[in-house]
Order: sequence, then structure tokens, then C-alpha cells
Amino acid sequence: MTTTIAVNGLRKSHQGFEAVRDISFEVAEGEVFALLGRNGAGKTTTVEVLAGFQRADAGEVRVLGLDPHTGRAALRRSTGIMLQEAGFFPDLTVAATVDIWRGFIAAPRPRAEVLELAGLTGRADVRVRQLSGGERRRLDLALALLGRPRVLFLDEPTTGMDPEARAATWDVVRGLAAEGVTILLTTHYLEEAQRLADSMAIMDAGRIVAAGGMAETLAGRAGRVSFLLPAHVDPGELPLPVAVEDGRAVCRADDPDLAAQTLLTWAAGRGLRLAGLEVRQATLEDLFLDLGGDAELSPAGGDR
Amino acid sequence: MSLAATYRLGARLFWRDKPMLFASVVTPVGLSIGMPLLMRHVRADGPAAAAEMFPATLAIVLAITAFMNITVALTGRRDQLVLKRLRATELTDGQILAGQISSNATQTFLVIVACAVAVFLAAGVAPPPNVLVVALVVAAGSAVMALLGAAYTAAVPRAELAAAYTMPVFLVAGVSAGAMGPIPLPSWLRPALDLLPTSVVVDAVRTGEPLRAALVLAGWAVAGLVALRLWFRWEPRRS
Repeated sequence: MTTTIAVNGLRKSHQGFEAVRDISFEVAEGEVFALLGRNGAGKTTTVEVLAGFQRADAGEVRVLGLDPHTGRAALRRSTGIMLQEAGFFPDLTVAATVDIWRGFIAAPRPRAEVLELAGLTGRADVRVRQLSGGERRRLDLALALLGRPRVLFLDEPTTGMDPEARAATWDVVRGLAAEGVTILLTTHYLEEAQRLADSMAIMDAGRIVAAGGMAETLAGRAGRVSFLLPAHVDPGELPLPVAVEDGRAVCRADDPDLAAQTLLTWAAGRGLRLAGLEVRQATLEDLFLDLGGDAELSPAGGDR
Repeated sequence: MSLAATYRLGARLFWRDKPMLFASVVTPVGLSIGMPLLMRHVRADGPAAAAEMFPATLAIVLAITAFMNITVALTGRRDQLVLKRLRATELTDGQILAGQISSNATQTFLVIVACAVAVFLAAGVAPPPNVLVVALVVAAGSAVMALLGAAYTAAVPRAELAAAYTMPVFLVAGVSAGAMGPIPLPSWLRPALDLLPTSVVVDAVRTGEPLRAALVLAGWAVAGLVALRLWFRWEPRRS
């Protein structure tokens, strides 16, 4: 397989603050790669270096074999970028915005096609200032897809979207991946990384703290079922392994719904009630606790 | 092709921003037509006073319609990360800036031509000799002022301050051209003020003599391009 994105020993500081501290990874052609991390982990800085907006302080970065900073003009013809934050012209409509952006691209997709892809067909005549945060993200996506990119950078693509829009965006990403587009996305949603990515790396405080199989295993334990451990029940009797935290039994599972069902069936068979039952997807914070890391490890502040 | 796209975008946004149009077109046009008209009717030497005043008001149009407008527009787009979004496309940095500067210069030139026609009809201010050559100087002056306004954005810390930061430029340009009435200036300052891009355009319109203006404008253009290259910021300063 061809390597589309190669990062080797990348470092980048902003005014004395080391946002990215020596990270390396590779993304193969047609792969979906997720960079998972909390705010301030260095994800956006990494994407901005890869997209040619910032120059690396040290290390080597190649996208389609080119240095993204010096080869920006050449790379733009084959890359699409969805920045974490970037402005629009608020008084233009969605359709006008897309039409203007089409003028910036040599061989753009038709307007109707990108609006369809981004799920904005019904919103074409709405002014950008009237769009919701999630709709703006979708317009962002539409503009990133205009040039039929071979490589797509998506910086927190679904932040601010409702669950329906998020699912629709995931479908779009999967569709593009199926067409062979190489995709690098950043996210702080475990579920998003897990559902979309072929491989992933977990970043914290500018470093990659877990990558490849290890990151996938960690992210795979995405579900969490907890309940008040009934009196006189020994955790060992339960049908699934649990940890007891403050009187609550906590069970980690790939599929928390299935785990909850197993536990409830077991309890019903014994005439027990599982009080305070909670079923949820784990968050990145849970994962950092698993990693044995300190949840307060990374500095507060923007994702720069 | 892409330069044409950024040019069209610049023109579209110029005429679409209604509140900005009031400041950057209505006000200077009002002054440029109104002042000569006033001179024509209140002064004993009406026609001569009007003919003397009109070229001076062009310094105001250049300082506002070209310089202030582009400074405000570009700092606003910089701070709202619109410039960054434009840079995420296939456009080169040069195409983005050249499109903006050339469209702003065109609008300024059209505004000046409209003012000249209006004062000709309403106040009887005759066109200068060599009208085509002078028109070329005005076009070059519009382009240089737009270029300098784009370069000036580097000095503006935040978009909200852009208009205020261009006030000194407006005042110096207006006063040195005599558009604000006869304000006595120290004689040692005169040679410097005569080298302003606005002053040389005003002078060329008055005299019909383009050579000096062409040379001085070329110098300012080089200075503007160098400043743009060295200091232009595409993104807001990170605090």
C-alpha cells in the first residue's frame, strides 16, 4: 500500500508553548485515520501543519509525497480541508457561497451534488447567518468536498451537530473512503473514531500516547454499564466481569446494550433488581483513566 | 481564472455591504460633489474655486473608498477566519490579495469617474487636458491606495479598530491636498506631503501632467508590495 500521509518526528511550538512534541504516524492511501484527543492535545496544530497553514519546527511531514508548506499550491488541487473554525460571508446564501467557492477550483463538483452530499439541499436559499452550528459544519464539509479531493482533512467534523446530522456525516465519510479518498480526521468522540477509522492514534499534551492496536483496544472498550451492587451479591457471581467503584458495579463492554441485557436477565433469574442502572458510551475521559493517565494532565485552553 | 473569481467576489462584497457603502462611498462622493458645488455657489470666483476644489476632494475618495474600505474589509475577513478559509482552496495567496486589491481599485476608479461627470454637469468643472492620461493616473492611484490599505492591515490589531486606524491617513491625505480648506502647514512639511500618493494624483488632475505622479506612485507600489510580503497577516494574532 502507498503511504499518503507521513509524519516523522513532528514538533511545533506557539510562542514558547510546545503544542506538538515529536509525533510520528503514517496513513495509507484510502485509509481513514483518526487523531483522537481532548482539547489542547495538539490535534488542530497537527492538521494545520499537514494542510500547509503552519510550518513544522522540526521533523518531516509529507502529504502525497510533497512538503505541505512549500508545496501548498500543488497539494491544494488534491486536498480538501474542513477547518475546525473558519468564517463565512454571513450575508450570502448557502447556494451563493458554494457557487463562489466553485470559482476557486479548477474542476468543481456541481452545486447540487455537494449540497446533496452535505445534506443541505433544502437549505440552499438560506443565508449563512441563519444556519445552525451543525448546518455550518455541513456547509464546511460541502466546501471541502468541492474539488473531489484525494486527501481530506477533517478537524472535528461533527462538533455541534445533532445525532442525525452526525450519522449522516459519518455516512458521507464512509462513502468517500469507499471511493478511495484518504481521510485524516480529528475528534474527541471515541465513538466517532471507532466507527469511522481504520486506524487511530490517541494524542495528549502534544504526544501520541497510544496508537494502532492499543488505541483500538482502548477505544473498543467504549461501553459502560453501571448499577448499585445489590446487597449480598458478590461481584464474582455476576455473569460479566465488573469493577466496583463506590458501591457501584461498573462493567466495560464493546456493546453496552448487550451487556446491560445480560445483566438484567441474570438479575431477573434471581429475583434481583439492578437499581440505578446506567448504560452509556464511554468518553475520552474514561479512556484516559484507563490509560492510567492523569485526567488533568493536559493544559487547559484552546485546541491550538 | 481564479483571479477573476476573487475579483468578482471582492466587487460583489463591496457593493453588498450596505452599512459600509454609506461610509466608504456615500460620504466621500457627497464631499467630492458637494464641496465643488458649494464653492461654485458661495464664492465670488465660483467656477475657479470649484475647479480648484474638485481635484483636492479626490484625496478623500482615495483615502476612504480605496484605503479605508480595503483595510476594514481585509481585517474583518482576517479576524473572522474567512481569509484562512480562502487559503484552504486552490487559490494562491497572490490571487486572493490581487483579486481584492484590483476589485477595490476598480470600484474606487468608477466612483471617481462618476464624481467627475457629476461635477462637470452640476458645477461646470471642466475635465483636465490629457483627460485619458490623467484617468490612467487616477486608476494607478486607486490601485496603489488599495494596495497600501491591504498592507496597512498588518498594523491594525483588531478588526473593530480598522476604521479608526485609517483616520490619520484620511486626515493627512485630505489636509495635504487642501480638501479640508486652507489649513496652514509648516513649510518644511510641504515637500513630504507632496510625495503622498494622494497628493501626486491630485496634482496630476490639476495640471494634466502625469510624469511625476507615475514615478511617485511606482515608488509607493514597490513599498506596498514589500510591506505586504513581509508583514501581511492571514490570521488574527494569537493572544
